[in-house]
Amino acid sequence: MMATRTRSPLSQEMIVAAIAALLFMAFFLTQPVFRTTDNLLSLLQNVSILGILGLGMALSIIGRGIDLSIVTVMAMSSAWVLQLANSGLPLGLALLAGLLLSIAVGLVNGALIAFLEVPAIFATLAVATLNYGVVRTALLDDNLVYLKAEVPGWFHAIGGGALFGIPNPVLLFALVCLLLHLFLRYDIAGRFLYAMGENPAAARITGIANRPLTLLQYAICSVIGFGAGMILASTIGSVETRIARSTMVYDVILVAVIGGIGLSGGKGGVRNVIIGTALIGVLLNGMTILNTPYTVQNIIKSVILMLAIVADSILNPRDEQTSQQGDI
Amino acid sequence: MIRMQAMRKVYGSVAAVDGVDFDLDAGEIHALLGENGAGKSTLTKMLSGVVQPSSGTILLDGSPVHFGNPAEAMAAGIAMVYQENSLVPTMTVAQNLFLGEERAFNRLRPLYIAAQQFLQSLNFNVDPWAQVSTLGVAQRQMVEIARAVRKNARVIIFDEPTASLTPEEKHHFFGLVRRLKANRVSIVFISHALEEALDLSDRITVLRDGRLVATGPTATFDRARIVSAMVGREAPLVEATQGLRNPRPPGRRVLSVQNLSMGNIVRNTSFSLYEGQVTGIFGLIGSGRTEMAKIVTGVFKRNTFHGGEVLLDDRPVRYRVPRAAVRDGIVYVTEDRKAEGFFDDMPVSENIGIGYLAAGFGRSRIVRRSDLARIAREWTQKLDVASTSGDARVIELSGGNQQKVVIAKSLVQRPRVVFLDEPTRGVDVGAIAEIHRMIRDLSAAGTTVVVISSYLPEILAISDRILVCRKGRIVEEFPADAADEKTIMYAAVH
Repeated sequence: MMATRTRSPLSQEMIVAAIAALLFMAFFLTQPVFRTTDNLLSLLQNVSILGILGLGMALSIIGRGIDLSIVTVMAMSSAWVLQLANSGLPLGLALLAGLLLSIAVGLVNGALIAFLEVPAIFATLAVATLNYGVVRTALLDDNLVYLKAEVPGWFHAIGGGALFGIPNPVLLFALVCLLLHLFLRYDIAGRFLYAMGENPAAARITGIANRPLTLLQYAICSVIGFGAGMILASTIGSVETRIARSTMVYDVILVAVIGGIGLSGGKGGVRNVIIGTALIGVLLNGMTILNTPYTVQNIIKSVILMLAIVADSILNPRDEQTSQQGDI
Repeated sequence: MIRMQAMRKVYGSVAAVDGVDFDLDAGEIHALLGENGAGKSTLTKMLSGVVQPSSGTILLDGSPVHFGNPAEAMAAGIAMVYQENSLVPTMTVAQNLFLGEERAFNRLRPLYIAAQQFLQSLNFNVDPWAQVSTLGVAQRQMVEIARAVRKNARVIIFDEPTASLTPEEKHHFFGLVRRLKANRVSIVFISHALEEALDLSDRITVLRDGRLVATGPTATFDRARIVSAMVGREAPLVEATQGLRNPRPPGRRVLSVQNLSMGNIVRNTSFSLYEGQVTGIFGLIGSGRTEMAKIVTGVFKRNTFHGGEVLLDDRPVRYRVPRAAVRDGIVYVTEDRKAEGFFDDMPVSENIGIGYLAAGFGRSRIVRRSDLARIAREWTQKLDVASTSGDARVIELSGGNQQKVVIAKSLVQRPRVVFLDEPTRGVDVGAIAEIHRMIRDLSAAGTTVVVISSYLPEILAISDRILVCRKGRIVEEFPADAADEKTIMYAAVH
């Protein structure tokens, strides 16, 4: 494996995988409700959106950045698609418009980071706020957009359907995993992304076009966010745009970082996101079955995120000589 | 006065310093010599409290001491002046001098007056009002020294103090060191420049691979003895006081630079490069030689190009990013391999593979891993990169092997013109010879090679033609057979 490589045999990835497996066994043995096929399927379905967003986040972190706007892109572009469909536009065109909007947001992110050299964390934070504000005031009528128009059946099948008993969102998560894995490992841009994340200055001198690569990176992030938004919209038939103002983006970072995507860039891959998603999925589902209050769930999640970040900085120490001011 | 006994420091499984005894008398200048990685810096860092010894004792005036951090060592009168600056760049000279002594109500005027008087008493020509970031390297060093002296240091450790000084500044510096000695201050002087050590010191200690190999009064040493102690054999590092006896004639002109300017770092300079020759560019640090290469190869960012022309095969080119230069076959191999040379955590094969991919040979976007592995194997064998396998991460290799990986990463791009900036900096003796052999082979195969170096024997040993850079301009050109150390150095400093 080239993508994931850690010094100690006990990598963060393996620790997290073991914890996820232990938790799973614990819930499985002690909670009869957890054991049911229905529950296990709903567990998978519930985390698949988070997992897809985690893949986008992982992509941005591997290239030594971060995309805080991914949840906003998810909510705003999918809400706009529903609004356009409600106003009578054919669904295909509405989807195209949403896709273009998300790509545009990604390119703005990338341009700020690549050409104006704004640290990714600030650029994407500003773009997220701007995206929310502009789309909400200029394009949407309400915070909560219901799908009222008659749409073809396949649209409902995206989120609601199932194949061989497995819900479609889970299959779509698997598909995005596969595509991103192929991109990162076998596409030339994927390899360059690792190089840029590892050492941007060296990548540049070697002849890699860092700036176009950064644009591509954030565009793909946004498209992944848009895809997640459409799956969610199809599942529940509406989009609540205030999710953009929620703490969901922290859960997305949690999923990426906890699986071992190093925040210092250039490290990790799809497998790490899958492991992170598995842990968070089992944990959330188990806590819900145990009737853990929402606030306590938040405490547990935040403690886990903190532990993951501490473990990351111990396992992947930031190199003084290559880090830059404003880096996360 | 200070006695260090059986000092040992282990990093991981490697002993950086292994059982070294070192002592220092009052008012003595003690030179500490050795190759890169010999353990000089580690030994002195243990004395100054920066590094904690794994074992061993330090006796100060006969009683054992332990320094947990540099502040404790400073309180005992031991100060270290680093290669890299430890000043706050956004503060003024005076503020830096009095750093850590500010009172709650800190008035600046008395501070500046005191700083002025103090600097004058040392005969240092530094403006106390100047912000440190605006100072040159030599002046920053003066501020560092002044700070150490002001804190009544009894022992001052200088780590490569003269590396970035001009001859005149060196002269000043040596005067200062002698004055300190007259005031009974003890000096530890770490250096690569053997002549300076022989000139200045009372005693010499040579380390090799973390062990003490020779120590004694300076009078008992000469250059040959130091060199043989440093490298562990009689042959000196690079033997060349005369240039190559049979320099090759220039081939076709490949690259021509005309009236290139950038601020006051590169001033209206012109030079040409010819096929089949190794062109050596010699210049002191700060003479603009690296900057020239970086402008030509597009490594410098944005608007640093203040006029001038670069012709490749008589066709004007102007590279704003390295990518364009790489695709035209012009590569720059950096002098700072850690910051902008290799990808630390990637294996050797991947580093070389990225170079290959970035050259843009293939039409396909799809990466064939087996091809990359084969290319990496071929190059690691060609350059004799000693790693257990292509899977070793670059950060785990020695300096010499790291440098070979960085060079391989560029050569795999099949360049026509290669700029090698300080190709043997921080590289062990064996690897120096191999890199020099590689440079000759490259040139013999028709590649236009430029070697930038501030190490004269290296320039003389491998160049067919020598350019001397001074204050941002190529000022002299020598055919290799007409050059020797003295004439080149004269051109570089006057």
